Amino acid sequence: MIRLMPLMLQARSRRLWSAVIAGACLSGCGSTQVIVESTFPVPLIEPLPLRMGLLIPDELYNFIYTEDIPDQSLWTIALGDANVAMLEPLFKRMFLEVTEVEGVPLAGGAVALDGVIEPKLEKFEFDVPIGERDEFVEVWMQYQITIYEPDGATVLQWPVSGYGKSELLRDQEDAVQRAAIVAMREAGATISTKFSEQPQIKEWLGGKGYGTPVTAGPQAAAADSSSGDSASTAPSQ
Amino acid sequence: MTAWRNSIIALALPLLCACGITARMEPYKETDAVIAAGEHIVVLARKQHATHEAEEDFVQCISDGLAKGSDGLDVHSSKEFEDKMYPWFEPSTAPLSTEDLSTLLERPGVLDQVKETGVRYVVWLDGSTDRVASGGGITCAAGVGGAGCMGLAWWEDDSRYDATVWDIQDVESEGTIHADVKGRSVMPAIIIPIPLVTHPQAHACRGLADQLRQFLTTPGGYEAERRRNRDVG
Repeated sequence: MIRLMPLMLQARSRRLWSAVIAGACLSGCGSTQVIVESTFPVPLIEPLPLRMGLLIPDELYNFIYTEDIPDQSLWTIALGDANVAMLEPLFKRMFLEVTEVEGVPLAGGAVALDGVIEPKLEKFEFDVPIGERDEFVEVWMQYQITIYEPDGATVLQWPVSGYGKSELLRDQEDAVQRAAIVAMREAGATISTKFSEQPQIKEWLGGKGYGTPVTAGPQAAAADSSSGDSASTAPSQ
Repeated sequence: MTAWRNSIIALALPLLCACGITARMEPYKETDAVIAAGEHIVVLARKQHATHEAEEDFVQCISDGLAKGSDGLDVHSSKEFEDKMYPWFEPSTAPLSTEDLSTLLERPGVLDQVKETGVRYVVWLDGSTDRVASGGGITCAAGVGGAGCMGLAWWEDDSRYDATVWDIQDVESEGTIHADVKGRSVMPAIIIPIPLVTHPQAHACRGLADQLRQFLTTPGGYEAERRRNRDVG
C-alpha cells in the first residue's frame, strides 16, 4: 500500500513555498506565482492484478515551472503537491497493490513486486492571452511514465500528454490554475484508461502469466463484460 | 429648448431601435420521454472543440434555471458528476454518441455509479457566445473647461447553443434544442457615453432553460407526433 509520509510532505511543501517566495523576492515587481492545488477523484476503473512499486522522484514532488514572458511578468507555477495529489490515488486504484519504493533495482523483500512505476513531469507549457478578444488560458503538459522490472530493466517509457484550457474570468493566475488542473485530469484519464492498451504492457503482462490479451484494466474489462467472462481479473498463474 | 429636445429624441429613437435582441429556438424532440419523480438531470459542456466550448457560467445558468421554482427539476452538480464518473466524462474520454455511451455503460461499475448519482438525463451543451461584428468609435477629450465624449460605438454578440438530451437508462438521444440569440448593443456618446447593452447569453440561457424544462416534462415530441399521425393515417 502507499505510505503517505505527512512529515516528509510537509517538509517538501515548506521547501516549495520557500522556493516560490524566494522567486518572488528575487524577481521583485512583475512576478506572478501560481500554486496549483486541488483534490483529484479516484478513477472508476478495475485494478490490474499487479503488485507495483511506486517511485516518485523529488523533481515531481518539487516541480516548479518558471518562465519570463517579455512585456508581461515572470511566471512561477508550482505543481508539486498537485502532481502527488493526482498520481497517488490514480496508481493506488490502477493496481491491486502499490508500495512506495526508493529506487530500482529493488532490494531485499521488495523483489516480490511485479514491477515499478515511475512518473516524471517532462514538459510544461502555458499560454496566457494578451489581446482583449482571447478568452482562454491554455496549459499543456507531458508526463513520462516508466515501468521497470524489479531488476531495473525498462519495460516501457510512455509519454502521456494532457491539455487543458480555461476561460479567463477573474484573473490570469486563477485561469492558469484551472487550466493546469484540467490538463492534469486529462493526463490522469489517459494513464488510467490507456495503460493496459500499450503493446509493451500487454506483452509484459502476458509474460507474467496474466494472459494475452490483457485480462484486466478498463479496456479489457469492457470487452470481458460483453463476452460474459466474470473471472477476467484473476491472474492465470 | 424644444428644438434641442426634439433633436435628442430624433437621435435617440433610431439608437434604441438599433439596440435589440433577435432570438430563435428550435426544439426537436424525438420521443415521448418525460422525467419522473426522483430522476435527476445533469448539464455538461461539450469540451472537445479546440476553438470554443460552452462557458462555465452558462452551464451553471442552465442548471440553475432548470432547478429553480416550485416546479424545479432535480439537477445534479456538473462538477460532482464528472468527479464521480472520472475518468469517463473528461474531454478526451466523454462519449460522443449514444453508441459510445452504450460501450461506456458496459464497463464494470459505470452503470452502478450512474444509478448511484440518480441521473437519468444528460444535457450536453455545445456552443458559445462570440462577438460577430463591431464598429464605430468614441472620442473623448479633456480641457480646462471640462471633458466630454462624442461618437457612437456598436457591437453584435451571437449566442449559439445546442442542448442535446440523452437518456442514460434507455441509452438513446431524446432530441436537441437549438438556440440562436443575437444581441446588438450601441453606445452613443454625447458628452457622456450612454451604454445601451443587450445580453444575448442571458437571454439564451433563460430561453434554453424554459425549453428544456418543457422538453423534459411534456410527453409529446415532434417526431412522436409525426409517427402517431402516420400510424393513424
